[in-house]
Formats: sequence, structure tokens, C-alpha cells
Amino acid sequence: MKRLTAIVAMASIVTATACGTTGKSETDRSGGTYTTIDGTKQINASAPTNPFNPVGSVFNGYNGMALAWPKNDPTDPNRFYPAIARSWTAAPDGSAVVIHLQPNARWSDGKPLTSEDVRVSIGLAYSQGGTAYALDPKAAGAAAEIQVVDAKTISITQGANRSQMFLNNLLSTVIVPAHVYGRLLPAGFWKTLKIAQGADGPAAERAKSVITGMADKVISFRPPHDVSAGPFVLERVNPGAALLKRNPYFYDSAAVVPDKVKVLNYTSNEQIWNYLIAGKLDNAPFTSVPTAVMDRIRQTGGSRIVRGYSPVVTSLAFNQALKPYDNVHVRRALAYLIDRNQVTRIASPEGGTPAATTSGIHAKAARAWLGKGFDSLTRYGFDPVKAAAELKAAGMTRRGGTWAMPDGTPWKVEIHVPASFSDWVSAAQSISSQLNDHGIDAKVITAADYTLYLGDLAAGKYGIGFWLMGLGPAPYNIYQRLFGQANGWQMFGGRLKHVAPGSQGNWMGGAETAQVTGAGTVNPGELTARLNFAAPDEQKRIVGVLARVANEQLPVIQLWDYVNAQFVNTSRYTAFPPDDSEALRLSSGVWMQLGMIRRRQA
Amino acid sequence: MTLAIRSRPPGGAAVRRGRLPGGAVARRVAGHLVRGLVMVWVVATISFVIIREIPGDPVAGQYESLIQKGMSPEQAERAAAVLYGFLPTGSLWEQYVGYMGSLLHLDLGQSLSTPGVPVTTLIGAAARWTVLPVLAGTLLSFLLGVVMGVYAAIKRSGRLGDVLALSGSLLHGVPVYVIGLLLTAIFATLWPIMPSGGPVEIEAVPGLNPGYVGSLAHHAVLPVVTYTLASYGGWILAMKSNVVAVLGDDFILAAELRGLRRGVVFRYLARNAILPLFTVLALSIGMLFGGSIFIEEIFNYPGLGLLLVNSISTRDYALMGGTFLVITVGIVVANIAADLLYTAIDPRVRSGGSA
Repeated sequence: MKRLTAIVAMASIVTATACGTTGKSETDRSGGTYTTIDGTKQINASAPTNPFNPVGSVFNGYNGMALAWPKNDPTDPNRFYPAIARSWTAAPDGSAVVIHLQPNARWSDGKPLTSEDVRVSIGLAYSQGGTAYALDPKAAGAAAEIQVVDAKTISITQGANRSQMFLNNLLSTVIVPAHVYGRLLPAGFWKTLKIAQGADGPAAERAKSVITGMADKVISFRPPHDVSAGPFVLERVNPGAALLKRNPYFYDSAAVVPDKVKVLNYTSNEQIWNYLIAGKLDNAPFTSVPTAVMDRIRQTGGSRIVRGYSPVVTSLAFNQALKPYDNVHVRRALAYLIDRNQVTRIASPEGGTPAATTSGIHAKAARAWLGKGFDSLTRYGFDPVKAAAELKAAGMTRRGGTWAMPDGTPWKVEIHVPASFSDWVSAAQSISSQLNDHGIDAKVITAADYTLYLGDLAAGKYGIGFWLMGLGPAPYNIYQRLFGQANGWQMFGGRLKHVAPGSQGNWMGGAETAQVTGAGTVNPGELTARLNFAAPDEQKRIVGVLARVANEQLPVIQLWDYVNAQFVNTSRYTAFPPDDSEALRLSSGVWMQLGMIRRRQA
Repeated sequence: MTLAIRSRPPGGAAVRRGRLPGGAVARRVAGHLVRGLVMVWVVATISFVIIREIPGDPVAGQYESLIQKGMSPEQAERAAAVLYGFLPTGSLWEQYVGYMGSLLHLDLGQSLSTPGVPVTTLIGAAARWTVLPVLAGTLLSFLLGVVMGVYAAIKRSGRLGDVLALSGSLLHGVPVYVIGLLLTAIFATLWPIMPSGGPVEIEAVPGLNPGYVGSLAHHAVLPVVTYTLASYGGWILAMKSNVVAVLGDDFILAAELRGLRRGVVFRYLARNAILPLFTVLALSIGMLFGGSIFIEEIFNYPGLGLLLVNSISTRDYALMGGTFLVITVGIVVANIAADLLYTAIDPRVRSGGSA
């Protein structure tokens, strides 16, 4: 046994040696350590502290800073909270934006943050692409001229093809220090950019290649240590967590209370549940939780849920290139037969609200966009009689209590869903059960993983599958999911083109045009593309037409609108954003910048 | 099999007499190495083909996953496009030639899911979190299973033997993830004296200091115990079975008739019964390179198993291939080591199988 003890002791020492080298445990100061989870990414200790790396060890709102933070407005994507940009002014036609930086902004090494940092960040962003920083001169909403006005003011001009999203894309730019990242920009970069954005030709193509060729170098860049303009700086990261400490030079340091932030990694929902039950997390994003687990979480001292708007919708989508889903009466019949209240109660009782109707938009945004028009849409409430009438109108027949196709062959409904999304699987099972109760032979088929599911969906293998949509607040993003690439409309060289069902990813297979009540014949794909450029009034009119197309043609059945439900624990900190706060979709780090999050007094 | 050898416990004079000449040893090792290299090449080729035949578009998957997590379509598209730039290009044959050429230089390529980071860096970082905990769990379960297996065999007619055999049967039948989840529920949630995730407390300053070492050990307890309990059943049942078989051998009877002390008889028993288990132990150590996926997932232990699962879900071809290869090499090396070890410790094998 003595040998065994020695082996265990030796193993501990070897483990320690393998994983690190010296020091002592650190203690909290008065602000304490705020513990949370970043729902948008898994922690990867091997990733560099570089915001251009998609999995970099940079946490938005803590050590990662943008010019401004988007508010969660249901209809206006151009509303922001100030961040590095203290304020901004946009020309009425959107042609230019002047950005005024925070006068006291400094990097965590004490150097002042200036317009040059913004300019270098924009230069590096061109290597990664993106709408505001597109190299294609025809691209809508591309920045054309970047001019440093003074140390704290910078002016950016939009190219000829203007987009309503220009301000949004501009203010979302992540800012890095020029004295760390500046050397990644090759000499003569700005001249090369001018050539790339000029007229087409071999010189422009060569210039574009130079700039896009920077991408690998920019992504792989590994700064020796984190230099942040945010309220925190990355102290260290291991595969299980990241530790951030206060940045004393943050421009509004007095607003930030915690001394440290601990971001825990997670590999499954169960880990988040355990952390919540143990009361370890001050804030966590919502995850699907079984009722029994939710009861345990609620019993934890200080635990509560904050709810707000989330511009995402779950739907059941049809492949209209396959029979019988090419018939709108069949789609409508299924809409009448699915009890969305029951589906939502089973699948996502805390994280969703049953869709009031199918408009393609989250109900909160839909009311803002459509006003009274929302109430004129067909509700498709649960109604087996109407469903039967629609099926008969489609030529379907009922034999021995089961519905069959018009040619008499059995109608077998297969609902496809990725196995890893437990709420979708529950919803699919509920729908299958409901359809079977009404004489439709339905079953659920799960795909091994999401990537496989999407691949088969795009290949047109599924007649019915789950699909995310309603991705506001930009109206183009909302309707691009219904009348975009997945439904045959593709942008080639700045021109919209419709491809045939079953080709080039067109798995929804809807008709290119549709008859719409009050609007006649419309091309929903063209209308969607125009949303990018249209003025607000025209956007509103287009959204009204597209909502009606979605409601009448039913390319999808909207099941539930997501709720941004978040877990918070008030045992250590208070002043979390209240229900329906615009800040809810931003990280705790942004809440801290905005003066929220106070230490609970004993 | 002669009575002379059967009546003599291994490790005695017969071991020394059975030594192979140096040339024969070299030939045996060289043969193993050649077979091992061929095996690695075959597995590398098969995994290369299989990995590229896995359906699913990683870019579309990445885009939709980011959307699902709340990223705006614009941001998600940009991030997915960045990843797209790292997808392998060229025909399958060109990719294969490039892959094999890189392997010869021990270059496993760049990760797709962690752009700009070499696969070897990711595997190296993950390996340390797999090797030590799983090694500790394997050795502990082996020692515990062997000792308890001998007792279970000797006391097989008594209550102690029944209890030990039952513990082995029960634990052998319970899936590893059930054990892990139970331990987590009890010791990390209901009675939270153990951490439920991560390999070490992030606030402990890395280094050879009590805080860090203690945190490492604290975080390793539940994974190691889970692995120990999950493997213990197999060892105790195998050892009990072997000991019962050896108990009927002539040399045990002869030892007892000679009036040897129980301790000596116990050693004879253990030595002979444990031999077949050494091969399995060596292979188990080889398998540890794959980690225990369930354990690493339950305890958020960022080892090779978790790395492999994540690489599959993101269709990170380079990382998948690299991890497969490391696991394969680990198993092949363990196989060779097991064979050589068996040769060294069993005189019957060394003497050419004449026993």
C-alpha cells in the first residue's frame, strides 16, 4: 500500500509539472469575481487572444470591444449603445458617418486609443470580408473612404451602392490596438485598397488578392499578451475557464464593479444545469431545461430568470419540390392540424411563445412592422375541420381513417430533425403524435448531427424539416431565410437570379412569383433583396407584402417565437437588466460597462 | 506443456535459462516495427478516405450553429467564410499525396475549427489532460481489480468472495457515463465537495505550487474514480477466473504439500494468474490515447476523446485525421510493447512456445 501512496503522490506532482510552473492562489478584492458562461462560443485555450480568430480567446464586452453595442430593437438595426465610439452622426442619406471616440479611452497598457487604432482595425477587417468592408466596388454598403479627422474623430464614407445596414455594420467593427496589430498591414495597404475598390481589371484583381491573402496571417496572429480597451483584460485561460481582470485604464472604470470575471466553459447543457443548481453562476444564457431540473434551479438561493425579446423563430419548413408539399392546400391543412400551443408547451415552455400566426417574423417585431395588418393575417388556429377541407381541396382522400395521396398511394409524413437539438426533437414528436391522431401517418426521423442534417436538407432529401428564421432586426435578414438562397434566389455579381428547385441549394422549391391578396403578382425574392437598400417607409411596405406571402403561401409553419430567457443569480450581484431590457442580448461585460451589475451589500 | 515447467512458478531459474540471443531480439523488434508502420499507414489511408466521405457541409454547419447561438447573419457569414478559406482543396488523390507528405514531416496540418492553430498543438494540449487521469484510473483499477480478484478467488466459497464477485459484476455492467453522472450528481451537485467541470481552477496560478497542484488533484478525483470504477469490474472478474484456474495446477498443490507459507503460495498464484492480464493492461494504456469520451464530456475534461468528438461535429478534417492517427499509433505502440513485455516476463513464450 505504501507503494500505491507513493505512486499517487508522484502522479500528482507529474500532473502539476505537465500543466504549469509556479505561483499561489489569488484572492478577490471588494468587487469580487463575477462568474458566467459565454453562450456564443466554447473556450479554446489554444486559440490566440485575437478577435479576428473565429474562436479567439476574446470575450465580447469584457476584453473585446466594438465601436458600439447593438440594442435589441425589433425593427431598427441602427440603434446602439455607445462603446469605444462615444457618439456618431450619419448623413440623412446615409452616405457618410462621423464617429467621435471616447475622449478618455485607453488601452490596458496605458496608451491612448486614437482614430489610428480604428483605421488600422478597419484595414484588417477588409482582409476578413464583410458587407461594410467589401472589396467588390459593386457591393452595397461598402466603406469607400476612411479619413482620420483628428485623434478622436474619424469619418467613413459609403460607396455608391448604399445600404440601410451601413451604420450597423460600421459600428459593429471590433477595434484592436494599432501598436500591436499595425504591423499586419503591409506597406502601401491603403493604396492597394484604393486599386482593389476601383474599376474592374487585372490591377484591381491583383490588389484584391493581396488584401484577401492577408486573412491567414491576421487570423493566426498571436499577441504575446492581451491588450484590451474593454473593462477587462484576459489574465489566463485554460480549457475549463477564462479569467479576466479589471482594466484600470478603461474609459469608464468607475461603472464597472467586479474585479474579475470568470467565464466557465461547458460541453453540454447538463454542466450549465449543475452550475446553476450549485449557485455558481451569476449569469448564464438559457438552455433547454427539463421541468424537474428547472424546479431545482428555482430552489437555488437568488436564482431567477430574466426574459426579453429574441429575434429568432422556429418553424417547420416544406420542400415544395416534393409531393404533396407542392400543394398549398396540404401545407395549410398541416398548419390547421398542428396545435402550436401544445408543441411549445412540450418543447420549449420557458424559451418560447407559441407563434400567433405565420408571418415569417417574431410576433413582437411583426406587430411593430405590420401594425393593424398583423391582425388581418390568417391565424391557422387548431381546426381539424378546416384541415380536412384543405386536404380534400388538395385531392387527398381518407381511407380507413388514414389520409392518402390523390393517386391513392399512402401518404407518409416524415419530419426530419437533428438529434442534438432536444427541443426540436420534442416538438417533432409532439407534431407527429398530433398528426397521427388525425389520420396522417407521421413519424420523426433524426439526423446524427446538425451538419449532416443541413447537408441533407440542402440536398433536397427532406420533405419536412425544422428551420430557424425571423433573424431580425434587419428586415433583409428576416426574410432572407424564407425568400433567399434556400428558396432559389441568389445574388451573382450584384444581380439577383432565381435557380430551379433542387439545384444550387434551392431546397425550399417555392414558385418564383406568387399571387398575394391586395398586391397581385409579386416576386418575393426580389422584394427581399430590395429590403437592403429601401428607405424605411418602403421597407415597411415590402415587409407587409412579404408577411402576407408567407402567411398565404406557407413555405413554413411558424411554430414558436424564441424568448431570450437568461438565468441570473442575485446572491452576489444585483442590478441585472430587467425583463424586456434592450441590453439582454448583450454580454454581462456590456451590462457592466453600462453601469449595471452592483455588488450585493451584506 | 511439460510438468517440469508447470510445476515451477515464473520468474525463477527458467526465466534466466530462456533468454533469447541478441540477434533474435533485434529481429523480433524490427518485425514488430515494420508491421506497426504498415498498420499506421493502412489506418491513416483508411481514415483519410472515410473522413472525406463523411457527409455534411462544414461551412453551412458552422453558419447555422453561429446563427443558433444568436450571432447575426452578417457576423455568422463572415466567421463561416473565414473557416471556408481553410478547407482542403484539390482532387482526393492530390489531397492524399499532400497528406502523406505532411505526415512524413510529422505535420498534421492546420485545424479548421481553430483557424491558424496547428493540429499538433491542439493534440499536444489535449493529450496531457487525457494521459495522466486515464493512466491513473487504469493503474488504480488494475491494482484494485487484481488484488480483489485474488481474494475473490481464494474466498470464493465465503461471503467475502461473493461480495467481491458481485461488486465486479455490478460495476462491469454499469455504463461509464452512468457512473460519471451519478458521481457528479452526488459529489458536485447534491453534496458539492467536488468540482463539476474543467481540469483545474482558473484562479489557481499555474505552477508547482500547493494551490495549483491541489486544484489539479481535486479536479482529477471524480474523473479518475469514474474510470477506476468503470474498469475495476473487468479486472476483478478476469483475475478471479485466472486464479481459480491456476488454483487447480500441480505446482500450487506441490507448494501446499511442501508446507510453504500462505504468502508464498499467494505470490505463486498471483504471478501466474496475472500474466494474461498484462497484455490487456498494455492495450488499455494504448487505448487511453483515445481518452474516455464520456468521462471527458461529463467532467468537461478537455482530452483527446473530447477533441475527437468536437472535430467530428465540426467536420475538422485535419484535426479528425490527426487525432485518429495519434490514437492509432498509441494502440500500435502499446500492442508491440505488450508483445515484447509478454516475451520478457513469460518463459514459455521466450522458449518458442514449447511449454
